Amino acid sequence: MPDVTRKILWSVLAAGTALTCLSPLSARADEQPSADLLARGEYIATAGDCVACHTAPGGRPFAGGLRISTPMGDVITTNITPDPEHGIGRYTEEDFEKSLRHGIRRDGSRLYPAMPYVSYSGMTDGDVQALYAWFMHDVKPVAESPPVTELNFPASLRITMAAWNLVAGAVPPETGDSATFDKLRRGKYLANALAHCSTCHTPRNMMLSEKEDSYLAGAPLLGWYAPNITSSKTAGIGNWSEDNLVQYLQTGHVDGLSQAAGPMGEAVEHSTSHLTDADLHALAAYILQVPAKDDAVEHSPREQVGKAVDTPDIRTGVLTRIDSLDEMDGAHIYDGNCAACHGSDGAGTSDHYAPSLFHNSVVGSARPDNLIMAILSGVDRTTGTLHVHMPGFDGNSDVQRLSDAEIASLVNYVTATFGSGDHGVTAEQVGKMRAQLPKTP
Amino acid sequence: MPSDQDLSADVVIVGSGVAGSSIANELARAGISVIVLEAGPRVDRQHFVENFRNLENKPSYQGPFPAVPWARHPPDQVTPNDYLHTTGPDAEAYQQVYLRMMGGTTWHWAGCAWRYLPSDFELKTRYGQGRDWALKYDDLEPFYYQAEVMMGVCGPDPAREDLGSPRRQPYPMEALPISYAAQQFRKLISEKTPYRVVHEPQARNTRPYDNRPTCEGHNNCMPICPIGAMYNGSYSVYHAEAAGAKFVPNAVVYRIERDSANKRVTAVHYYDPDKGSHRVTGKYFVIAAHCIETAKLMLVSADEQSPAGIANSSGHVGRNMMDHTGVQVSFISGDKALWPGRGPLETNVIDNFRDGDWRNERGAYLVHMVDDNQVDLATQLAISKGYVGRELEEQIRYLASHTVRLFSHNEGLADPENRLTLSATHKDMLGIPHPEVYYKLPEYTVKSCEHTRGLFRDLIGLMHGTDEQWTPGYFPQDHPAGSTIMGTDPKDSVVDGFCRTHDHENLFIASSSVFSSVGTGNITLTVAALALRVADTLKKELAHA
Repeated sequence: MPDVTRKILWSVLAAGTALTCLSPLSARADEQPSADLLARGEYIATAGDCVACHTAPGGRPFAGGLRISTPMGDVITTNITPDPEHGIGRYTEEDFEKSLRHGIRRDGSRLYPAMPYVSYSGMTDGDVQALYAWFMHDVKPVAESPPVTELNFPASLRITMAAWNLVAGAVPPETGDSATFDKLRRGKYLANALAHCSTCHTPRNMMLSEKEDSYLAGAPLLGWYAPNITSSKTAGIGNWSEDNLVQYLQTGHVDGLSQAAGPMGEAVEHSTSHLTDADLHALAAYILQVPAKDDAVEHSPREQVGKAVDTPDIRTGVLTRIDSLDEMDGAHIYDGNCAACHGSDGAGTSDHYAPSLFHNSVVGSARPDNLIMAILSGVDRTTGTLHVHMPGFDGNSDVQRLSDAEIASLVNYVTATFGSGDHGVTAEQVGKMRAQLPKTP
Repeated sequence: MPSDQDLSADVVIVGSGVAGSSIANELARAGISVIVLEAGPRVDRQHFVENFRNLENKPSYQGPFPAVPWARHPPDQVTPNDYLHTTGPDAEAYQQVYLRMMGGTTWHWAGCAWRYLPSDFELKTRYGQGRDWALKYDDLEPFYYQAEVMMGVCGPDPAREDLGSPRRQPYPMEALPISYAAQQFRKLISEKTPYRVVHEPQARNTRPYDNRPTCEGHNNCMPICPIGAMYNGSYSVYHAEAAGAKFVPNAVVYRIERDSANKRVTAVHYYDPDKGSHRVTGKYFVIAAHCIETAKLMLVSADEQSPAGIANSSGHVGRNMMDHTGVQVSFISGDKALWPGRGPLETNVIDNFRDGDWRNERGAYLVHMVDDNQVDLATQLAISKGYVGRELEEQIRYLASHTVRLFSHNEGLADPENRLTLSATHKDMLGIPHPEVYYKLPEYTVKSCEHTRGLFRDLIGLMHGTDEQWTPGYFPQDHPAGSTIMGTDPKDSVVDGFCRTHDHENLFIASSSVFSSVGTGNITLTVAALALRVADTLKKELAHA
């Protein structure tokens, strides 16, 4: 995915006065907005991570086309570049605000709730205005339309979404200048109105609305599992310090705790790693005081599981002929594919570029989902000058293509040896998760 | 196994190594139908890594790759080896190893990705030795770059370290960091000799590239990179398959069929492992089966129309066998510990003897300081010195950290007497004769090796070295070349400057077998660049067809 974001010094913006002088919702597409307003808009777009969903794999920024699986079918994201025919070029600021905060398109139809407008509804008028100005002036128009979303009945009727909205209950917008909020208020604003953490981390009810009583308590997502990030010490991240969480959001990795891959890796790369230190501390402080919510299956701190393992010698001295592609057992699959970087003892590299597999919340989790998905799709995360890369082992891998059965054996070996025990993952389970991998063009 | 009626394509390629697979990838991406016939099987990395770990003799480069009986490849460099039979005064110096399997021999190369020098293509004109190629450096330059991008080559900034081959673009990736041992070696050479040590260009990731990870310096590029940071032909196979090219493994081609005029190739025939015969038709044919096997196939295909073998009206198929036959020594440095064995195997080269007026009488050479783990050699040496117990452990530690290994790539020369023929006495399980090579090191190369020995003795002296262990005679470098030599005159060469055979207008060869001189660097990048140029020619001709 393209990196369209730049680090903006929020403090500089906060010191500016241009914002407060403008009356809300007054900008027009044909007026040249101030540099401060545009910079603020870009920062809001980064914090809101619009690019994550509105860009197809390998596609142009904000031109849409990403396929998001929902129980009712695939939602295909739209072109939100300022192209008048294919994008939002004809949107007035009022049109923009309606879709962003209320899920109502310019033509009056309803957006599907894959668009987190329930979160964005909390944005201040000033930030909506800045975001609009930036999209209209600084985003490059792309004259192409992605395929149209076609959902199953009854969701195929966009009118259904009006009823859904009644249930979903959007929050009222924050007021005032968001740059001047105190730390916890700013953190809450970032978490809810912009970064929309809950879109992935809060489970949803039958109507696909977020369950208010399970805020950030963890939910499945496109084969991955967005874990419980409440302050629960057994199920959540209650043992993390504010600095730990800031480091994680900045770099995607904290030694001995966890690392980001999949959708969270993208969120770190495209969004949180570009936030200011002050904003990251605000965000972390807010998240860490979210009331603890226990979990049905996580009963001990997943980041504290396991230790370096003095694995037994599995050398036999017997060589196989080059055409022997027989399935090996988990220990040998690990030895042949993983041990070179993660070590036969699971300790990873000394610089932690390849993380240790014990004291690792992915391997220590009672849910093997993220381990399976990381093995299938690999890790590819750039923050600053650091590009962290682990190859995937799915059917497109040039390094090694592992079958569903091989990945099941491998995962069971890894969790039994370094983590939370053998979960009895089957080839069928892996196959279902493989089917959720994004299709690369 | 596909049914035979499917076996027809615009372009039929024999061999799935770096040459064959990269042509297949280029053509398939241009919408051209391609079938690639590979004598060996499909393979995967994890089993090779496990074989390597189970292997007692770690420096055995062929060890982790036990061949299939229908497509044998040579075992390690031993004489006799019961597959590649060598004869002549320097028989032992021509023990080439290679791999017959999907992806080819780059499964176990060291990733050295040199461009040749402009002078390498004009050896006869500039120095009155050997032969000129039927193309110039500038003809190949765009394809060198294309090959570097395809493989992912890292190398030095030409403004800081000019390797002598003009570049229009920088290397796709930054050069490798220099290991501790190499830093010590560089310092010594720059301070105490008039020579220099340069970064060796490497087809190895210094950042994530092409969905493969960054090199972590596992130090066993040969026999197997455990993580996929180094290029091998299997990546081009995967890319070509994704673009629609069809690969048929275990397809041992044994005959090249022509039309009645003997001008065009009409089909190739292959055996499956049960010796069932299959015929594959196409518009164009490319033989990309490695220098030894390509010449063998063309000779095996002899028939009434072409009694001397295919494309062999010149009689030069199988002749002019070359290599970078070199010299090798290990010794124990009397200076500070070097701790070799960290990082990739071959990254640092003395290139001062790569070109000069003296090439009118002796061959050029490169000196590699090989940065491999020396515990094996140190242990043997310590035991031979009678150490036991704690002292043995200390000695192994000392010797392993002080061992220096140097070897050279010395320039061979095309000599028609150095010749590959079909073995009269040995056949494989399909009845195909084994290859046999007569080899006598050209005087040009002998003189070059003598010069190298002198240099090595000087360097041993500079490092206060002891316990010299010279590889007896000469050291084969597995860079065979010349068996279907390129030239402008059909009377004394097999292919033209576009790697098209003089005799058959729709038959191309993509291999080091076309090299007119063996050049002054490892051969693979030039093989890849020539192959991509063949793909370019085929794309143009098929577009106009």
